[in-house]
Amino acid sequence: MLAPHSAPHSGPELSRSDPVTLEIVKNALASIADEMALVILRSAYSPIVRDSMDYSTALCDRNGLIIAQGLTNPVHLGSFPSVMVNILKRFGGTMQPGDGYITNDPYGAGGMHLPDVYLVKPVFHAGQVEGFVASLVHHTDLGGMAPGSMALHATEIFQEGLRIPLIKVMHEDRMDENLLAFLEVNSRVPEQVLGDLRAQIAACAAAERGFGKVLEKYGAPAMRGMLAELHDYAERLVRDEIRAMPDGVYEAEDFIDGLGEGGGPIRFKVTITVAGDELEIDWTGTSGEVPGAINGPVAITYSVAYAALRCAVQAAVPNCEGYTRPVRVVAPLGTIVNPRPPAACAARGVMAYRMLDVLFNAFAQIVPDRMPAAGEGGPSAVSLSGIHEGKTWLITDGILGSWGGRATKDGVDGIANPGANLSNMPIELIEARYPLRIESYGLVANSGGAGRRRGGMAITRSYRILGDDAQLTIRSDRRAHLPPGLFGGCPGSPSLNIIDRNGTTELLPVMPMRTLALGKGDLFTHVAPGGAGNGDPLERDPDHVAADVRDGRFTREFARDVYGVVTGENGRADPIATEARRDGLAADLPGLAQAQLRHFMEGDQGRAALSPDYEEELA
Amino acid sequence: MTARSFRVGADIGGTFTDITFLENGQTVHSFKRPSTPDDYSRGIVEGVLALLDRIGGKPTEIEEVVHATTVATNAILEGKGATTALLTTRGFRDVLELGRLRMPELYNLNYEKPTPLVPRHRRYEIAERMGAHGDIVLPLDEDSVVEAARSIAGSDTRAVAVSFLHAYANPQHERRACEILTGMLGPEVFVSCSSDVLPEIREYERTSTVVVNAYLGPVVRSYLRALSTRLRDAGIHAPLQVMQSSGGVMSALSASEKPACIIESGPAAGVIAAARIGAAGSSSDIITIDMGGTTAKAAIIEQGQPARTTEYEVGAGINISSKLIKGGGHAVKLPFIDVSEIGAGGGSIIRVDAGGLIQVGPDSAGAVPGPACYGTGGTRPTLTDALVVLGYINPDYIAGGAVRLDAERSRRAISEQVCAPTGLDLETAAHGVYAIAASTMMRAVKAVSTYRGRDPRDFTLFAFGGNGPAVAAEIARLLDMKRVVVPSHPGVFSALGLLYSTTEHDLMQTYFCALDAIDSDRLDTAYRKLETSMFAGLEADGFARAEIEIERLADLRYAGQAYELTIGLNDRPGDRIDIAAMRAAFRREHKQTYGHASESDPLEIVNIRVTGRPRSDRSDAYRPSAPDARTGEPGSPSVRTCWFGPDWGHLETPIITRLDLAAGDRESPLIVEEYDATCVVPPGWTAGLDELGNLVLTASER
Repeated sequence: MLAPHSAPHSGPELSRSDPVTLEIVKNALASIADEMALVILRSAYSPIVRDSMDYSTALCDRNGLIIAQGLTNPVHLGSFPSVMVNILKRFGGTMQPGDGYITNDPYGAGGMHLPDVYLVKPVFHAGQVEGFVASLVHHTDLGGMAPGSMALHATEIFQEGLRIPLIKVMHEDRMDENLLAFLEVNSRVPEQVLGDLRAQIAACAAAERGFGKVLEKYGAPAMRGMLAELHDYAERLVRDEIRAMPDGVYEAEDFIDGLGEGGGPIRFKVTITVAGDELEIDWTGTSGEVPGAINGPVAITYSVAYAALRCAVQAAVPNCEGYTRPVRVVAPLGTIVNPRPPAACAARGVMAYRMLDVLFNAFAQIVPDRMPAAGEGGPSAVSLSGIHEGKTWLITDGILGSWGGRATKDGVDGIANPGANLSNMPIELIEARYPLRIESYGLVANSGGAGRRRGGMAITRSYRILGDDAQLTIRSDRRAHLPPGLFGGCPGSPSLNIIDRNGTTELLPVMPMRTLALGKGDLFTHVAPGGAGNGDPLERDPDHVAADVRDGRFTREFARDVYGVVTGENGRADPIATEARRDGLAADLPGLAQAQLRHFMEGDQGRAALSPDYEEELA
Repeated sequence: MTARSFRVGADIGGTFTDITFLENGQTVHSFKRPSTPDDYSRGIVEGVLALLDRIGGKPTEIEEVVHATTVATNAILEGKGATTALLTTRGFRDVLELGRLRMPELYNLNYEKPTPLVPRHRRYEIAERMGAHGDIVLPLDEDSVVEAARSIAGSDTRAVAVSFLHAYANPQHERRACEILTGMLGPEVFVSCSSDVLPEIREYERTSTVVVNAYLGPVVRSYLRALSTRLRDAGIHAPLQVMQSSGGVMSALSASEKPACIIESGPAAGVIAAARIGAAGSSSDIITIDMGGTTAKAAIIEQGQPARTTEYEVGAGINISSKLIKGGGHAVKLPFIDVSEIGAGGGSIIRVDAGGLIQVGPDSAGAVPGPACYGTGGTRPTLTDALVVLGYINPDYIAGGAVRLDAERSRRAISEQVCAPTGLDLETAAHGVYAIAASTMMRAVKAVSTYRGRDPRDFTLFAFGGNGPAVAAEIARLLDMKRVVVPSHPGVFSALGLLYSTTEHDLMQTYFCALDAIDSDRLDTAYRKLETSMFAGLEADGFARAEIEIERLADLRYAGQAYELTIGLNDRPGDRIDIAAMRAAFRREHKQTYGHASESDPLEIVNIRVTGRPRSDRSDAYRPSAPDARTGEPGSPSVRTCWFGPDWGHLETPIITRLDLAAGDRESPLIVEEYDATCVVPPGWTAGLDELGNLVLTASER
């Protein structure tokens, strides 16, 4: 399958503009998309916009091709093209100034999942449509079987919430009151949905003004020519980079542990073919659709492909669609990366992050200096809700993150995933608002994967229930299938979900397909996966290992058994003892990963008690 | 001889130390000399004495010294702050390191997070716990504090920050821990607790702010002590004041206790200067553009008040245009004048990228190796070289002959590195660079105006810094702004601002509550508590209670939003707080800033703030004398051929001094050459002087 549509090349009839004006126009457009993004970030109502920046803004040319995108969320890179194609198909020729279009439908309109609501407006100049301003925001709740509209256990889209077909929703710059009324009664948090929608409308209005001024300044014919050239420019930058990559076929595979207690592993298989200045990303061999909400409509498959490619190239490529021309994406229909309607897809984030991991792994064979070993594999989502003092409360917290080791640098400890620039929720705000107490938040000792460049440490957060009861849902992964290492590095550490109550400790599955009931005083702890290592751990500089011991990241025993570094009482590495120890370990490299896991599980009381359960689960 | 008195401004930059004197509230004297990085205080005192000598003044005639310094910023950028320890609540020693996780750039998998100012092994966990409402969940384990203090005492640690969860709601545990630390470590170890520096909800931002404060404490304290001593030794006994990032000044003693307040001291002084000069003239709505060798900085002033923010990160490098994504530095959530920075300045390097487009900056040739025309080793073309090629900058020398230029080197660098790959001719390439630089700086201007719902056409553009006046008219043209002002002394402008500064202290406290549920009497009590501390602080700085004026502000938002807007309370003292008026003021501001505002959605108050300053403005109003004849450059050629782009081509352009405009307005094109800056007046503008000696460019009717 080809990209949803290709940008037309600028023909010889268009006069070429100079490299100065083009640079100025490129900056002006990017600054308008950024301005839109800022309006939404600062004036939206929902925590999803604030903490996850789960929204995007874009300007498009009159053909609906993106010419600038606000710097927000990498996995939205391919989110607009399909919707724009459908808008042009459906409304082309009938558009009027002041019109606006809305949709959230992944199957009929090119959307990604129901919470992502698109609002798009045409921009007119001299009576003609010369472009579009577009925004997409992940809305907190649009109904469906679970609060947040992302029930993991949904099996078809009809269970997931309100489906808005592609319709005209604005006339003469006024929103259709009928649709607003529909939205209001279909959401559990209507004030957040309407507040966020107002922010989208305001962002589009600001962009319409800015884009209008640019059109006024240069005139439509010159702008058309320049926008065509901008696509060519981006294409040129990317083709140059692909040409510099060694031709060949590169394969990688990885797995999601599976749905619920009994679900089997879900396979992601990718083949990247580099031929000259073109590149193909083929998902043939990937598992089929699943009866859960983690199927990924094809728009996300394009988004992830583009995000991985942008990480693999070094040039500062503008976000305009021309750069996708040298890329071909193959996603067989009926697989989890291109499901058929009505497959449920609300929690498609899980598979998007895994696709990114697999792509990074394949690209690491092509440009090893630019790609890390696998990181935590996306945020773990912890949802807690209940009724306290007569009021309903709901919190969805994302826990992450750790990058894998890089060619010349360790993985980062405590950072957003490269696929989504998430933030964390301030502990003090959580405690001020909800009947919860956070009892710890930090790095886990002896976590992450060992390597010449070690993986980032795992992050843990624990929640004490202060109200009478609470419901818990968890979406996590990477316990059976650990983040894979690169070039001899050890895999990362596993994720754990632990409940402590009445003196007992219980290990929960990574993705329970149900809601769990908690009571007052219960403690839920999540340990996110740790990033994988890059290169042989026995080649790691002993001083760096000793520094991690001094900082409490590793215990001395861990340093000795996994890195072969013996530290003295003064905290420094003992060179002679270290050399001897490393000689002994060199014969049994797979043993390092086992030693690493053993020390991780023994790291504190809670986890030690779980070791037998975990080993049983693995077996 | 009548009695003379001087207010002295001293602004230290990386390269130059600028000294200004305001004599008898009227005459400005200025002096520029190289900085003395081994001991910056030496350069200040020598500069002050040299200027006194030049004008025949005496040290005893100095009434006050106001200082702007980069000592705090440099300590962070160069990692030369104190060895610092941190005490946290048990379970949370990584709060400082994790931060908010977000990264300031996407698609760069080799990204490195900023290294925490306190490494993990110097972060001590203390058994204690407060609840969100200030309730004690777990009493402070004093023994663990004592143990930490012992470990700290046995190391080379010079500063300790204390940040416990919910200390904004109840500072009791922090206070006690500080007592124990101070008792055991003595006065030479700098101890700072989060509830003193920033009693605000959000643990990472508060912890980071107090850590920055502690990290800077010993450095700033010893620097200000050394400066005071040097001044005294030179016979200058006047009080020493320091400019804060917020634009107000505080005593050297207060600054030593809260050094995190003086991080952006210099840039704030420049904006304050623009606000005072604007208020003295006719423009109280101003956008400033301050452009030096590496960056351009923009700020906005409305009705004489610079816009402020508490969203700041130190050490983040250049803060590119919008504040969309943070995480590149260490959060400091104190009031700052909201400055948007862009990596484009005179030294910005020009290159042609792989796709064939011309890029200007953000990398800079700096002072070393410098622009190609300096002939000091720089071979890559810079914005300054483009200005030389266009004829805008004197092709032989700048700074009154202090720096010699070689125009041929500029031409060669641009032809080889820009013209060859693009096929453009020399002038077109140079003018293109000029236009791109202006369009890049335009993004900084937009970030402080259109991004916040302000239309730049309603503002006057104030240009200063060594290179601001060269590009101001082009930036104004791009944004359709009709008026550009280049004040006198554009190259020592921050030092000038110090002369017109006012003492100002800011205090805040989290007061987290739905606005509908608020009890206005309790709110009033909370404000009064802050005001009591405010009076105490200002009285310690030498002000009588009767002359202190206090302004009340509040941070509000719609319930659920992530960002607050600060609004002023217009109640008179003694009045009941008018909640309805707060609500209305917030909606008005929200509508203007973001273009929408709900009339029905519930509001939350997050923080309360008070600002205190002397009632009768003790600073001098800006009343400069006529332009100083000494700014003229005798012997300048009177006409140069300049290139003004394809529409105008080459024009014979008069080269004049500011003084030449005293006789009346002149039509463009013009180049106004001054000792410390060059102002370009392209076709389409009229240039004149106002009664304050400011150079005013007015757009001709188009």
